[in-house]
Amino acid sequence: MRIDMIDSVLSDLNGSSADIEASSVVSTDGLIIAAQLPSTMDEDRVGAMSAAMLSLGDRTAQELGRGTLDQVLVKGDEGYVLMIHAGPDAVLTVLAKASARLGLVFLDVKRAAESIAKLV
Amino acid sequence: MYHHKIIFTGPVGSGKTTAIETLSDVPVVCTDQRATDSDEIGKAKTTVAMDYGKILLKSGETIHLYGTPGQDRFDFMWDILTEGGIGLIILVDNSNTDPIDDLAHFLTAFSDFIGQTATAIGVTHTDVTVLRNLHRYHQLLERFKLRCPLFEVDARDPRDMSRLMEALLLSLDPGIRVPASEADHGAVSSQDVKPDRH
Repeated sequence: MRIDMIDSVLSDLNGSSADIEASSVVSTDGLIIAAQLPSTMDEDRVGAMSAAMLSLGDRTAQELGRGTLDQVLVKGDEGYVLMIHAGPDAVLTVLAKASARLGLVFLDVKRAAESIAKLV
Repeated sequence: MYHHKIIFTGPVGSGKTTAIETLSDVPVVCTDQRATDSDEIGKAKTTVAMDYGKILLKSGETIHLYGTPGQDRFDFMWDILTEGGIGLIILVDNSNTDPIDDLAHFLTAFSDFIGQTATAIGVTHTDVTVLRNLHRYHQLLERFKLRCPLFEVDARDPRDMSRLMEALLLSLDPGIRVPASEADHGAVSSQDVKPDRH
């Protein structure tokens, strides 16, 4: 039931923005909760990598005096990966196109994360 | 000035994070998260990226200690973390269902790195499940054609962990002078920690 609701948040997210290509929700220890990813992508890898990146991001932000982590942004020449906490036990990972308008993506992702945090 | 890097790996719960906390001269950076499968792994938290600590030698040199996550889904971290390392410590939990299989899994996964450097193996939790002898472990090493130090350790015990580290360093360079009297990590003579095979 809840997974269905999380799935629909992810569908809305992918659908609402032309810039967002895929998304997934992962537990903080790297296990997939829900995912809407291209079939070529290994869900388990995405899950583990998201958890590792977010956890390192948390530590880096704290240790380097940047406060509490907001998000981790990975910029590749073919697009972005954005990772954000969705509550204390989950991570929302979003894949965006290289041409994405980041400001809008950040807003959409933040809202989705807040909805998911209530469901997880 | 040499900076040496040693990696700790092994199955979930074998004591990697604990071992680095025991050895490190500085507070350990760790990336523990709440484990959703805590009942299965027998503990509340698990490493998701890495542990980092260091040993400060009297000469001013440093031995960097990196711990990997234990689960296979984080195996991309194993490659990242072994880059530039001089050796590998594998910890296996003797109280697991099949610790021999666990050890075989890690010896295989890290075989390239072990081939280029060296490994030392610590068998942990021997207070939980009685260890009659290390025979089966040694048999496995023979199958892998590996000659490396393998003995019981308690990851919480500084002397045990130092001994395991020293065993690894000695297998890399038999010329290292390790004063026999001191059991703690200040005992490794840093001038001799030269990674020959790099």
